[in-house]
Parts: sequence; C-alpha cells; structure tokens
Amino acid sequence: MASPTINLRDLVVLIADSSSYLSMIAHGILRGFGTSKVLEVRSSVSVLQTLSAQKIDILLCDARLPPHGGLTLTRAIRRKIDNENRMMPILIMTSDTRENTIKQARDAGANMVLAKPMSPASLYDRLAWIALTPRQFVDAPTYFGPDRRFKIEGYPGGVGRRKGDHEIVVAEEAGPALAQDDIDNLFSAARFGKD
Amino acid sequence: MAEDGTYEARVFAVETRFQRMARRPGGVPREQAIEQAWAQVEENKPGFDDWVNKELQSLTDVVASARPGANKEWAEMAVVHSRRLRDVGTTMGFELLTFVADSLCDVLDAIAAGAEYSMETIACHVDALFLARQRAFRGVKPDQVPELTSGLRRIVDQVNTSPG
Repeated sequence: MASPTINLRDLVVLIADSSSYLSMIAHGILRGFGTSKVLEVRSSVSVLQTLSAQKIDILLCDARLPPHGGLTLTRAIRRKIDNENRMMPILIMTSDTRENTIKQARDAGANMVLAKPMSPASLYDRLAWIALTPRQFVDAPTYFGPDRRFKIEGYPGGVGRRKGDHEIVVAEEAGPALAQDDIDNLFSAARFGKD
Repeated sequence: MAEDGTYEARVFAVETRFQRMARRPGGVPREQAIEQAWAQVEENKPGFDDWVNKELQSLTDVVASARPGANKEWAEMAVVHSRRLRDVGTTMGFELLTFVADSLCDVLDAIAAGAEYSMETIACHVDALFLARQRAFRGVKPDQVPELTSGLRRIVDQVNTSPG
C-alpha cells in the first residue's frame, strides 16, 4: 500500500511550548514536511491571544504549557462556543505517557497525543492520521470534542513502523509509561468497553 | 433537549480546514518529508552543544542554590531544565541524555512532592548529564551502559520510597 501524502503548504500551525529550543526543533521538522507558516508561543495566554487574532489550522501543544497546562487549555478552547477555532485539531505533546495522562488528554478533547522526545516519523504519522481519517464531533453536557469512540486500524496507507523509519528508542521504562502505539490505542478505548 | 428533559449528545460530521487542505494533491510524500525533516534537525545540531551547556549551567546553578531545610522551590525550577533536556535529547541523537534527564525529573518530582533526599542523589545525576552530553555518547543507548542506568534506577527507587 502506498504511503500517504499530506499537503501542509499554506496551513497555519501553532506550536505552544515553553521551551524555545524544542519549538525550534518542531518548527524545523514541520518545514521539512513542507509547512511554510508556523507560529510559536510560550504560554496558554499567548495561545488564546493568537487564536482570537487569526485562524489557526492545527495546534501542537505541550501538556505542561504554562501556566495551567495544555489539557486545561484544550478544554477551554473546546468549550468556548463563539470561538471559530473550537473544532481545530489539537495535538498534545507530552513526555508523561502514563495511561491516566493520555486518557485525560483524550477526555479534554485532544485529537491525538504525541510522545516526547518526538521523531519526524511519529509527528508525520499523527498529522496524516488527523488529516486523512474523518472523525465526528460530539457535543454533550460534559464533553465537546472529537468523538472518542473510534478505532485506529493502522495509519492511513498502512503507515506505522517500517524498516526504513529512523529508529527512536528511549530507555526501557520499568514504570507504567506507554509507548506511542499504546497511546494511540487509548484513543480507541470507549467503543470497545475498555474504558 | 429530549422530551424527558435530558440533554442528548449531538454527534455531527466535521471537516476542518486542516483536513481539507492537507488532502490537496501536491504534498510531500511521507518518506521524502521525513528525510527532509531529519535534514532540518541536522541543521540544528551545531547549536545543540551550546544549548545543552546553557541548560546544564542553569541546572547546576539552581542545584547549588539548594540549602538543607529550605523550601522545595529549587526542585521545581531544576525540573524545568531537566525536562527540556529530556524532551529533545533523543531527537538530537543523545538518547542517554534523555534517559538521565528523565531519571532526574523523577527524583526532582519526588522531592517537590515531599520525598526525603540527599544532595548526592542530585549531584550523581548532574554528573551523569555532563557525561551523557559528550559527543562520544551520541548514539549510545541506555542499555549499552547498564552500570550507569541501573545505578541511577536504584537512586530513584530510594528517593521514591523515602517520604518526607
């Protein structure tokens, strides 16, 4: 099966992370993907200011974004009725890959979670998945966001781990941190009665 | 609102501008995009040493400011620098740096939460960070230096089991 191709040219990407160096790395990776319009901010206050000033096509947000964290920000964006960016895709970046944290991100309305340290392949595949996999929205008293009841049956075009991928191996964890595949699978839990 | 007064969830289809635009023809194929992205990462590598040095210096300064019996604000400041090192180390080819910084984050989080600690624990990690940032350790995986990794794990376990 052919690898998916996504066209990120002319899309406006907002990177929200308190680390200017990590943002620079992510910015460079996106440039490699063909993205020409990338903005960077360092706090959730700046995110909200940016969203009120212009249309953003996708938000890459650190889970620990100061001052209140990326999940609180995600909930605020999803709940604000008069916000034209309310249904904008939100990709949460986090080094805390414990199951509970991933579920919290999902339940806050994030489209996907990306484990840090990131690799170009892991970012590309998640962007492709968001772009190429239609997903309904749910408006309920306690939740507004992408339908949490879905199943990832491989990334579009069958992408995932391939022999040619650059390998990124972080140290083995004795604790309960999840691998990126496990993180992705947690976004499929509700429909299948696991959560 | 349903007839019985309950609020029913509304489910509706959404196609965002991101999805619409990303599906346009003319994009960069995945393998090429990833290759180009790695090239961009490589371009940033010359500045990586300076950046790591600054972060390590800041971390060292914060740790040096810690005094026995003082509040734990220093730990909260130190963990910011440690997280930054952890979050980019592997991407830049320094997996061992990410491993050590991650271990230090665990220690500092435990201290900030009230665990008892010894400054030796922190000093061991800072020394290990200075080691792991050296070019000779680029590409070295944690399991290639088992003495170091198991030693740090034992230290973290001690801190995590020492209530303050």
